[in-house]
Amino acid sequence: MFLLTAVLLTGCSTARADSLPYVDLSVRTPLPATRASQIVPLRLAVAAIISPQGNVESYSDLAEYLGRHLGRPVELVQRRTYAEVNELVASRAVDLAFVCTSAYIDGHDRFGMELLAAPEINGELVYYSELIVPASSTAQSIADLQGKTFAFTDPMSFSGRVYPSYLVKQLGYQPDEFFGRTFFTYSHDRAIEAVAAGIADGAAVDSLVLDYAIRRQPELEARLKVIHRSPAFGIPPVVVPPDLPPKQKVRLRELLLSMHEDVEGRVILSELGIDRFVPISDDAYQAIRKLISETGVMR
Amino acid sequence: MFGQQHGSYSRLQRLLERAWALAGGVSVRTKILGIVLTLTTILGLGVTLQVRAVMERVFIVELESRGVSVASDLAARSADPILLNDNYALYQLLTETVANHPDALYAYVLTPDGEVLVHTFGDAGFPVGLLNLEAEGQATDSQTPVVKTVFQSEEGIVHDFAAPIFEGRSGTVHLGLTETRLHSVINAVTGQMLLTTLAVAVVGILAAMLLTWLLTRPILDLVSTTREVGKGNLSVRAPHWADDEIGDLADAFNQMVSDLESSRQALWEKEAARTRLLEQLITAQEEERKRIARELHDGVGQSLTSLIVGMKLAHQVENGAAMEEHLAELRRFATATLEQVRLLSRQLRPSVLDDLGLSAALERYCEEFEQLYPGIMVDVHCDLPERLPPPVETSLYRIIQEAMTNAARHSGCSTISVLVLRRNGSVQAIIEDDGRGFDPAQARREGRSVGIHGMAERAELVGGHMDIESSSDGTTVYVEVPVEEPRDGADSAV
Repeated sequence: MFLLTAVLLTGCSTARADSLPYVDLSVRTPLPATRASQIVPLRLAVAAIISPQGNVESYSDLAEYLGRHLGRPVELVQRRTYAEVNELVASRAVDLAFVCTSAYIDGHDRFGMELLAAPEINGELVYYSELIVPASSTAQSIADLQGKTFAFTDPMSFSGRVYPSYLVKQLGYQPDEFFGRTFFTYSHDRAIEAVAAGIADGAAVDSLVLDYAIRRQPELEARLKVIHRSPAFGIPPVVVPPDLPPKQKVRLRELLLSMHEDVEGRVILSELGIDRFVPISDDAYQAIRKLISETGVMR
Repeated sequence: MFGQQHGSYSRLQRLLERAWALAGGVSVRTKILGIVLTLTTILGLGVTLQVRAVMERVFIVELESRGVSVASDLAARSADPILLNDNYALYQLLTETVANHPDALYAYVLTPDGEVLVHTFGDAGFPVGLLNLEAEGQATDSQTPVVKTVFQSEEGIVHDFAAPIFEGRSGTVHLGLTETRLHSVINAVTGQMLLTTLAVAVVGILAAMLLTWLLTRPILDLVSTTREVGKGNLSVRAPHWADDEIGDLADAFNQMVSDLESSRQALWEKEAARTRLLEQLITAQEEERKRIARELHDGVGQSLTSLIVGMKLAHQVENGAAMEEHLAELRRFATATLEQVRLLSRQLRPSVLDDLGLSAALERYCEEFEQLYPGIMVDVHCDLPERLPPPVETSLYRIIQEAMTNAARHSGCSTISVLVLRRNGSVQAIIEDDGRGFDPAQARREGRSVGIHGMAERAELVGGHMDIESSSDGTTVYVEVPVEEPRDGADSAV
């Protein structure tokens, strides 16, 4: 009788399996090597000023626009840190990059990273580092954040790390000693989220990113407050590797600088909150360079 | 149609008959064991099958919801590594996910172009069969974009969950969950349940054996006791095992045997008394004959001899006056002799009983009794509106006669009262004395009771019965004999 049951029980499960397709998992083939594309795409690196998914959403239209006008596909490349993006630029693994100011200074000073253009936003070529705290926080200045948890964005970020460290130093402390605990979020929008969610008691973020984030998520404004705004600094630029063929460099710069002249380009720019791209010189970043060397956190 | 029904009905009946013949042909032990085993097995297997089916259903639903959530989670966490081109982090994410989910068989990421980006199948390569499966996928509910596909493989049934990464812009992550662990859990539970069923069956067999022993042992005892009784041994008794129906049966059986024994004892005693009665009857008859012979010889014979002598002497009487006197003397003598013969005859059988009935006979008898026993006062009250059947009259007369004689002879009483009356289809006779009393049972045991036994016999011969109550204040004999009620009017007039 037990035997009968066993037969019966196994019968049940095989009946269901009969109607299913069969896949032989033991038939394996090595994966083909990544296809070598005939057309070499233009590789556009975007530093993680905002999170990778945010970057894709923000920059894919721009990448597509560039690709269409250059007649070759544009591949959007991202890395977790500014340093990694700088390495890509240094090794010429990318043709064009949107980087942070301090990353530019590091790249320029180390391997001759070249400025291509800068976005003009609200008629200005500057941005600020803004110190944010949760809406419920009683902190009035950086001094009130002593012993608290502080979120840095990227180790190489000017607005997210260098500037707050500078403020702490002004108070006469080392950042590591001043805050109770610090951590890196590797992007500004994540730092904003961390403060809004109360995971960090404070963070310093790129004013452009904060404005952009608040524009897209208006409820953030109620959850945060800005307790300090830095002096104006040179806006994060668009750069190219030092040995990019001059012809290509000119073509890219022309394309960027003339974007606001056609309807399609204007739509994309306004999506990004940019008025237009303008030429910029290294002088715009002198103040930052000086502050970085004073603070010395990047060494 | 009807014929078919009839046919199936008779087939069913035949089947039932056969089943009954089969079930009836085996011992009670086998029946109980069969019932217990059948019930245990049906219950065990039924519950096992049902639990198995329910578990399978629930587990698969659970597996699918887990697959959807793990795949969604994996897709969310894959987005950054893919966008950051961090294939190693992606690989780590997939391998850790597969390692941490015991049901996970594989995970792989397809690029939007359908190329395999990262997979967990190892160095040997990727099973290409999986890529052809895509078309057969079925959309799950609209709340989640995860697509489910179920397929069969050498690893058993595999549920493939495909979750789009970053709304599909960064590709799709596939997660494969097997039912292997699910089935092993179900099989383990099934095994446990079957084992439990087996254990319960074993316990059931033991319990059934105990039950059978408890049930059949008293029955078998009863059977052997019955056989013993059948052989004539009335002293055996069936043991009373428990206060249940079988115990009641044993009690009833024992009661029956003991009744049988006591009735046999009574029969035996009656037989012995009858034998004694017969002997005494014969003796009494001889005594009676002797007495009659003596009476005849000494009384009637002497009287007749005297008459003959007197008549012979009459010849010698010449004187007329003397002759007259002599003849008168002879006549008186003859009359006395006749009276003597009549008394003798009456004593033998009172003709008054036949002629005038029980009341008159009893009254006559009591008069004679008082003459015979002058110290005893007899009070007779006989309330019988009409004659009784002759056998009843004779029996009652003789019983009352015997009772009065016994009282006069043995009790030393001074008063005897006799009451005869009719009541509810029977005649009752009550004979009371104020003597010293006796123990009827003892008298019966010691065989001194031929008279009493004779009374009882007489009562029983006419369908009645007799009881004796005796104490130191006196003895009462009750006799009750059933008689048919007289029909209204007609008979009483006769």
